[in-house]
Amino acid sequence: MILLAVLLAVLFLIIGVPIFVVICGLALYLFFASGIDLSAIIIEMHRMATTPALVAIPLFTFAGYLLSESGASRRLIRISNALLGWLPGGLAVIALISCAVFTALTGATGLTIIALGGILLPAMTRAKYPEVFSLGLLTTSGTLGLLFPPSLPLIIYAVVAKVRIDHLFIAGILPGIVLVVLLSVFSITRAVEADVPKTHFQITEVLSALREALWELPLPLVVLGGIYSGTFAISEAAAITAVYVLLVEVMIYRDIGWRDLPEIMKKSMVLVGGVLIILGAAMGLTNYLIDAEIPKQLLELFKTHIESKILFLIALNIFLLAVGCTMGIFSALVVVVPLLSPIAQAYGIDPIHLGIIFLANLEIGASIPPLGINLFIASIRFERPVLRLYVASLPFIAMLLIALALITYIPWMSLVLLK
Amino acid sequence: MRRLKQLNEVLGRVEKFLIVVMLSAMILLAFLQIVLRNAFSTGISWGDPLVRYLVLWVGFIGASLATKEEKHITMEVFSRWFSGKNALYPKIFSQLISVFVCSLLTFAGWTFVQNEARMGEAAFFNIPIWIPEVIIPVTFALMTLRFLINFAAGLSLVLEPGGFAPRGDKT
Repeated sequence: MILLAVLLAVLFLIIGVPIFVVICGLALYLFFASGIDLSAIIIEMHRMATTPALVAIPLFTFAGYLLSESGASRRLIRISNALLGWLPGGLAVIALISCAVFTALTGATGLTIIALGGILLPAMTRAKYPEVFSLGLLTTSGTLGLLFPPSLPLIIYAVVAKVRIDHLFIAGILPGIVLVVLLSVFSITRAVEADVPKTHFQITEVLSALREALWELPLPLVVLGGIYSGTFAISEAAAITAVYVLLVEVMIYRDIGWRDLPEIMKKSMVLVGGVLIILGAAMGLTNYLIDAEIPKQLLELFKTHIESKILFLIALNIFLLAVGCTMGIFSALVVVVPLLSPIAQAYGIDPIHLGIIFLANLEIGASIPPLGINLFIASIRFERPVLRLYVASLPFIAMLLIALALITYIPWMSLVLLK
Repeated sequence: MRRLKQLNEVLGRVEKFLIVVMLSAMILLAFLQIVLRNAFSTGISWGDPLVRYLVLWVGFIGASLATKEEKHITMEVFSRWFSGKNALYPKIFSQLISVFVCSLLTFAGWTFVQNEARMGEAAFFNIPIWIPEVIIPVTFALMTLRFLINFAAGLSLVLEPGGFAPRGDKT
């Protein structure tokens, strides 16, 4: 019966029933079948929604939406252009960095391709980059930057796996940089091959670009400085970030009028509501699964078939890439993390490192054919057939997989900054 | 049906207003607490619990609005491949499922609030704890209503001869 219910749930997910409805439905059925009062699922939702650290989610998300509606992305591109435009492949590197920063701030919800793709694709075409290359780069960059704080998936992983958010924030920095650097090196070699014309380095342009973005430059410090120095808890850093961004964008740059604020608040909270309710639903389901000792049974199953840690990591990578490709980042996080994290710990994998592995996998999975969500968002945004994007993104996926191997098999990269 | 849609719009405006007020309060209060703690080594005792309940309200109202705007996170494997009228059938079906599950959740939320009221704990300012918690069954009821409206709208679109003609008086 339970197997039937799970199969039915998967079927419902595939035809497009909202994820929270499917998870709640499954949890309600399981509670009902084992004679537990249905309000148990609400108790879990309530407990999750009033967790102190959760305050960070609406605050960071609001700050991210404010930034995405302001001229911050234009200023970011201008600065990177002034600093890196003279490099061969400079514009490609600029695109990668801008996408990564933008994704970290807006939470990997498909906004990056929609907001930046429209500026960057024409710019790259004008700069004589081959179209296949530009399309592949922008498609796979849709989730690049997910490992940088304060991205929403990082916070959600920490909440679900019950690890410290500040540790996860710091752990993601180096692996995130590795992903961006590897793609940059690849892009530069491709640009040199394609003989893309360069622009000249002008110190006056650098200075004026820096002056223009003067108020936004301290933002990483605002987000991370307090957390890194231990002065602020994560929710406090989120509050400071929200106030700072509000002051800078509304009162200093005046990119956003006071009248626009209600709409931006609503838009960002619709996303927060959609994410929180999935989180709450998953907490209800997870509690049942743990009571039914499902993770323990899974662990025994794993132990009999997979002996070494390396083998487990390989299996984990393949599984998570598939999950990231099909389920999407948010639902994969809330459903898969509670099931797999006890197993991974039994294999001696550090919970923080596991988080980085999870997020790197899901980030890359989102670009993998046939179902990765980035491919479909890009197909709509750039008005190109999905099949063309499959082909375009393959070389980039290959590079990302190399980075993924480094991140997975060298725990040092994730853990060194914590020591 | 038209009355229902009007009601839906009015409710949507109320919810947007609540989100704006509560998110602003959340930002100000959370920031004020930091200033008080660091500059004056003090804080408002009811500040942190209030902020947590603001998150609860903003989150659930956000989820309710996500239903209205059809912005809930889905896997959508199917609809990425189908378009036009064929995409409408799985959509109507999924809305029907959602109506069913959300009505159960409304009921579960109501039971939860009743239990909490019986326990008689207080949240802050001596407000009984069930009062801030009542948002849970309320928003689930709203979600049920909205899935129902979307379901009816989708159904009338399928049944209507000519399919995608601009919606007339029938709705």
